[in-house]
Amino acid sequence: MWIEIAHFATIAALLVALTQIAAPLVGITLGRPVWIRVGRQAAFTSAALLTLACAGLILSFLKHDFSVAYVADHASLDLPIFYLATAMWGGHEGSLLLWAWFLSLFIAFAAWRHWRTHPLSIPYVLAILGTVLAGFLLLVIFLSSPFERMLPPPPDGRDLNPLLQDPGMVFHPPFLYMGYVGFGIPYAFAMAALLTGRVEEEWILATRRWTLFSWAMLTTGIVFGAYWAYYELGWGGYWAWDPVENASFMPWLTATAFLHSVMVQERRQLFKTWNLFLITTTFALSLLGTFLVRSGVLSSVHAFANDPGRGVYILVFMAVLLLFSFGLLVAKADSLKVEARLESPLSRESAFLFNNLFLLVATATVLLGTLYPLAIETLTEAKVSVGSPYYNKVFIPIMLGLLLLMGVGPVIPWRRVDRTRLLRALLVPTLAGIGATALALGMGIAHPYGVATAALIGFVAVSHGRDFIAALRARTGRSGDSILLAPFRLIGRNKRRYGGFVVHVGILVMAAGFIGSGLFQEEQDLLMKVGDSTTLGRWRLTFTGIGQVSRHNWDAVEASFVVEGPGGQLLLKPQKRQYHRNDMPTTEAAIHSTWREDLYIVLGDRVDDRWAIRCYRNPLIVWIWWGAGLMALGVVVSLGQGRGLKRRDS
Amino acid sequence: MTAKKRRALLLVTLVVVGGALLALVVTSFTGSLVYFYTPTEIAAQSAGLAGKKIRIGGMVQEGSLHKEPGSLKIRFLVTDGTTQLPVRYEGMVPDLFREGQGVVVEGVWPTEGDFPAGTILAKHSEDYVPIEMSQEGIAKSKQSLMKSLQ
Repeated sequence: MWIEIAHFATIAALLVALTQIAAPLVGITLGRPVWIRVGRQAAFTSAALLTLACAGLILSFLKHDFSVAYVADHASLDLPIFYLATAMWGGHEGSLLLWAWFLSLFIAFAAWRHWRTHPLSIPYVLAILGTVLAGFLLLVIFLSSPFERMLPPPPDGRDLNPLLQDPGMVFHPPFLYMGYVGFGIPYAFAMAALLTGRVEEEWILATRRWTLFSWAMLTTGIVFGAYWAYYELGWGGYWAWDPVENASFMPWLTATAFLHSVMVQERRQLFKTWNLFLITTTFALSLLGTFLVRSGVLSSVHAFANDPGRGVYILVFMAVLLLFSFGLLVAKADSLKVEARLESPLSRESAFLFNNLFLLVATATVLLGTLYPLAIETLTEAKVSVGSPYYNKVFIPIMLGLLLLMGVGPVIPWRRVDRTRLLRALLVPTLAGIGATALALGMGIAHPYGVATAALIGFVAVSHGRDFIAALRARTGRSGDSILLAPFRLIGRNKRRYGGFVVHVGILVMAAGFIGSGLFQEEQDLLMKVGDSTTLGRWRLTFTGIGQVSRHNWDAVEASFVVEGPGGQLLLKPQKRQYHRNDMPTTEAAIHSTWREDLYIVLGDRVDDRWAIRCYRNPLIVWIWWGAGLMALGVVVSLGQGRGLKRRDS
Repeated sequence: MTAKKRRALLLVTLVVVGGALLALVVTSFTGSLVYFYTPTEIAAQSAGLAGKKIRIGGMVQEGSLHKEPGSLKIRFLVTDGTTQLPVRYEGMVPDLFREGQGVVVEGVWPTEGDFPAGTILAKHSEDYVPIEMSQEGIAKSKQSLMKSLQ
């Protein structure tokens, strides 16, 4: 019964979403505000209806209603309750519903929050977002329905893919979708700005927090995915440049560019068209991400089935969105004339310009590598794949370039900087960079990229630290704050700036993790029998036994390793699991994490009386997760500051 | 420096940096493409492949998997139903690597001897079939082979 309620609620939400498109437009045309109010109520109603729909689907899972085909495909009687509830987004159909639900919640929140403050934009925002929502609901109802019955019901379901029975995978999609969907709000405000002709900074200020929030969600979602790949897939890495990973990375890159370039428009009224282009591209790439993953056009771990109908639909949907947005942009180009000009290559805005250049080339790199194989396959008979060497070759230099800009941009002034001031700002950071180089060489790091990364980390850290300390000095001198409170007061005074600093430090920490694990990973493939030992870096591993373990929905072969390392002895137990309802065995790597490195052991097949063992030493890998945590913290700090334009420099 | 000169300098820097980045992308890209073949396609054109990194896909032929005792070395045949191709590999195989299952092997085509696989990609779940390994994919490559023979 619950599934019918969910189904009807979704259909009703579609009808309400259509009202949400029509009513505000009627209201504007007739000049009757009451119609706009109807649109607002529609936004609230569809959010409520879709909440009901999701609840209905989750309840069907919790009640083991295997007469629902989607439940039967993604759950079983054995599945623990936590995974039972979250299996709701374990497949295409449910995850599209989740997407639509998030969108409806965000629309409702935006309709409530911006109703008074942005009365002119709101009707258009409602209509545009209503269109996106209706588009997704059509997809959910007609092409990808999680509500279909399967009669007679099977006695038990096929179970959730064992690889997805992991906390990392449970949180990966919702965070990613919140990021994707969240960019819809600034996008809609941008389009509304074009339609109302108010293309000044208003839409950017209105949606600053939406943009930051979505960026943080997307970042967290991507990192959850990487974390899952590292812990669950057992190949010792976290990022494979898989097309589906790329699909979530592309909107992140353009969104990062957008976060930076909007500051230039805020302060210098430059880049107006560019910002509109960036937010449209970001939202379009979010849709492309959904399309690539959910249509199954890619041969990848994530593409579980082929369904061209869905793919064509999302493709048409995207084409309409792009035509509308860029058409509007071209039509209104006259209103986007910029009076101010970029004055000098040495200025903060030009640092942002280069930041955008690097990020856009990065986006193009990923787009090319992701879509080229698809194009080749469609146009010719050949099949081709683009391997990770391509991405690594391009991305490391881009990352280094961005780090350099990150050290310069925040500490030089807008408009232009003269040579003496530039020298004063960068002399000490440069010396720090040289110091870091010497330190890296002293530690035995020989790889040029490793040395360059160390140098730039030193450079950026000191340029940020020096700026912060100078501000702190000025503040304690002026206000007489105590030395303990002053840093917090200072951050509180300018949460945007220092929140950004924290994000940058997070990126430095992450960069160290990328380089450490990417360039200095050590791997051994061995055949061991019980009693054998091996040495890997600072660790000595002894294979002490092999046994069987069972849980209620899986059995496993488990190896025991006694590991002697700098911190004493520890026991690591890699497993090879066999889930009852599934043919495929899965690997559970045993991982010991320290701040310096991870020890990572994988159990393979039995060969006569011995076992295949693969072990990795992954330097600095936890720095990636810590860096992500710092980035999220930085965004939280930055979100603390409301809108408001403090100073104009023109 | 005058304002005009500064702007010109900015433009030049932008073009130079952008051009260098694009050159980096293009040169890295052309060297990183890995083409995919079935054993039948390989049989038809193996001459030109020596030294190239390629992927070969098909099924692991039933009964062909041979493990060398006391090592992680294995040999097996990859088949597309028409042609078999001998492959050797050393190392741990993926969870789903078995006889009768789909497989994609990646390596550099040798001038002689068995194909030395550097990487084995196996079928990832019962729901998931890489396009290269699906029956349709194999049928398609057969068609294209027939076309080229005619």
